[in-house]
Amino acid sequence: MKLKKNDLVKLYRNLVRARKFDQASIRMLGEGKFTSFFHSAYGGEAPGVGGTTFLRKDDYIYPHHRGHGIPHAAGKGSDVVGFMAEHCGKVTGSCKGITGFHACDPEFGIYGTAGTIGSAFPVSVGWGLAAKKAGKGQVVACFFGDSSAGRGTMHEGMNMAANWKLPIIWVCENNGMGQFVPIKDAFPMEDIASMAGAYGMPGVVVDGQDVVAVAEAVMAAAERARKGKGPSLVECKCLRFRSHVEGAPDWMHGEIRSPEEVEKMKKRDPVVLYQKKLLKQEILTKKEIEEIDKEIDAEVEAMEKFCEESAYPEPSILENAVYAD
Amino acid sequence: MREILYLQAINEALAEEMRRDETVFIIGESVQGSTFNTTVGLVQEFGAERVMDAPIAENGIAGAAVGAAMAGYRPVADLMFGDFIYCCMDEVLLKAAQWHMMHAEKVNVPLVFKAAIGGYSGLCNEHSRCPEAVVLHHPGLKLVLPSNPYDAKGLLKTAIRDNNPVCYFYHKQLLPMMGEVPEEEYTIPFGVADVKREGTDVTVVATSFQVSLALAVAAELEGRVSVEVIDPRTLEPLDLDTILKSVEKTGRAIIVDEDTLRCGVGAEIGMQIMENAFDMLDAPVKRIGAANMPIPGGVLEKICLPQPQDLANAITDLVGAQRFELAVQTAGVKLL
Repeated sequence: MKLKKNDLVKLYRNLVRARKFDQASIRMLGEGKFTSFFHSAYGGEAPGVGGTTFLRKDDYIYPHHRGHGIPHAAGKGSDVVGFMAEHCGKVTGSCKGITGFHACDPEFGIYGTAGTIGSAFPVSVGWGLAAKKAGKGQVVACFFGDSSAGRGTMHEGMNMAANWKLPIIWVCENNGMGQFVPIKDAFPMEDIASMAGAYGMPGVVVDGQDVVAVAEAVMAAAERARKGKGPSLVECKCLRFRSHVEGAPDWMHGEIRSPEEVEKMKKRDPVVLYQKKLLKQEILTKKEIEEIDKEIDAEVEAMEKFCEESAYPEPSILENAVYAD
Repeated sequence: MREILYLQAINEALAEEMRRDETVFIIGESVQGSTFNTTVGLVQEFGAERVMDAPIAENGIAGAAVGAAMAGYRPVADLMFGDFIYCCMDEVLLKAAQWHMMHAEKVNVPLVFKAAIGGYSGLCNEHSRCPEAVVLHHPGLKLVLPSNPYDAKGLLKTAIRDNNPVCYFYHKQLLPMMGEVPEEEYTIPFGVADVKREGTDVTVVATSFQVSLALAVAAELEGRVSVEVIDPRTLEPLDLDTILKSVEKTGRAIIVDEDTLRCGVGAEIGMQIMENAFDMLDAPVKRIGAANMPIPGGVLEKICLPQPQDLANAITDLVGAQRFELAVQTAGVKLL
């Protein structure tokens, strides 16, 4: 897929939206407005945004837990405002405040998220099966972290998907850290993508700080999947500027991750990198960039007001909610 | 009425539902061949796309069923032995069971986890379990335990049509059981207990294979103690009313279920009787289940699993009658 000028602008807008909503989440959690916790995507927003912005509305996605799926939902076109209200525990949230942090927006192919890492693989196989059976050319983009590649569920899911040629793109967001453990100390191989060969599917490594590179790689895999050629693995080498979870020390094994190292990483901020590129290629002007900033700042402000004004769910919402009719 | 095997009744239910609704498909290990002969012949009629032989991957199979169910299909995930459900607890207990409520009723997960349960075959701890309590402990799942061919067919058809995840646990000892099954279409609603035998002295609530054992014990005790035997057929939903009505009549209750005693089905139903019918009881509720230990194989299995004599003793003790030695001391047949 060749990205045109308006595609590139859309990608930028979604990236900025992901960034600003992530930053707002960190702040709102600190202000006590969130009812649960938050795992920021700061510095690693590009895979989620790049991997979803050009998917079809009826394609399935399983968002990664980093950013709680905000980059993915923003890219897919789903209502991030409802997702934020969910974090505030409000009844206007995407799960009516029942989960506090799960995404669910079936209209946009988001059927749910969960708390157990690595559970994305088997369920994605089910969506892949459904997509293949339906025969409408839908694909599944399953986003997962580097460390979840340690789960047996990854093997089960990738094996089944490859064996049955299911239309799935396995998108690994490799930020080098599995909670507080550096990936280099947890896996013997350099690239998670190198495992793709064992399943007879393509595996590519892309610069996960480059949102365009991610988009192009995922869309190439999606095109392949839509043609019935089966799954692919796209590994995005990305970064994590925050600790695993807000409020926790930025551990690396038993020591604190060097703040100097993290500062150095910020030279590769995906928003800044893409902004420079767009300016250099004269796709956007500084003024247009400021306009986009202003628009999304207004979105964030409206979102906060909406969350603030929304009610908490009544306990009655749980009556007869466990079983479907 | 014609008689067919329990395993044939399961097979017929699958075939009929697959004919009726093309969104129904089976996924599992060796389902085209069939480990317990319940899926025999289905691949010939419905093809490999709808009778999917999967690799050994319980997480993958269960998760695939969850995903496909949310996306509009009605999968039957065949987990082979009930013990293997332990391999995919996340998909069964945290995803299938919980995603409907957690995601604000925006998604349904209509699927069946089909598995063969139970002991009395000397297959040891990982091929003998009855994982009923663990399922009941996770609201969101329904639990079906057919005790005869008629129920096996009617309940499976209802399970496939239900809009929720249903654990359909059929007992290995019952596979060769013959019973009347009409050729005409029928289904059995969930949450309706079956009073298998009427009595006035003691209510025995029995599940799955234990229903046969309880009926045999009740027959042997005839003339000494009048035993009422109730098969709840589904434990979620549970037909508590029928049980309470019986307890009101008899004043005594015993629950017999093959799962481990501790925190088991007997503890749950027994406590519900206490909470709702304490004034009707003439004696404390008794429960019988597998001993609180891993299920041993070989000759030691019978030390752990409920035996007919255990039930007979509980019944006579409860009514203050003399203990009676049963003519038939064994339960079950060697299957493999």
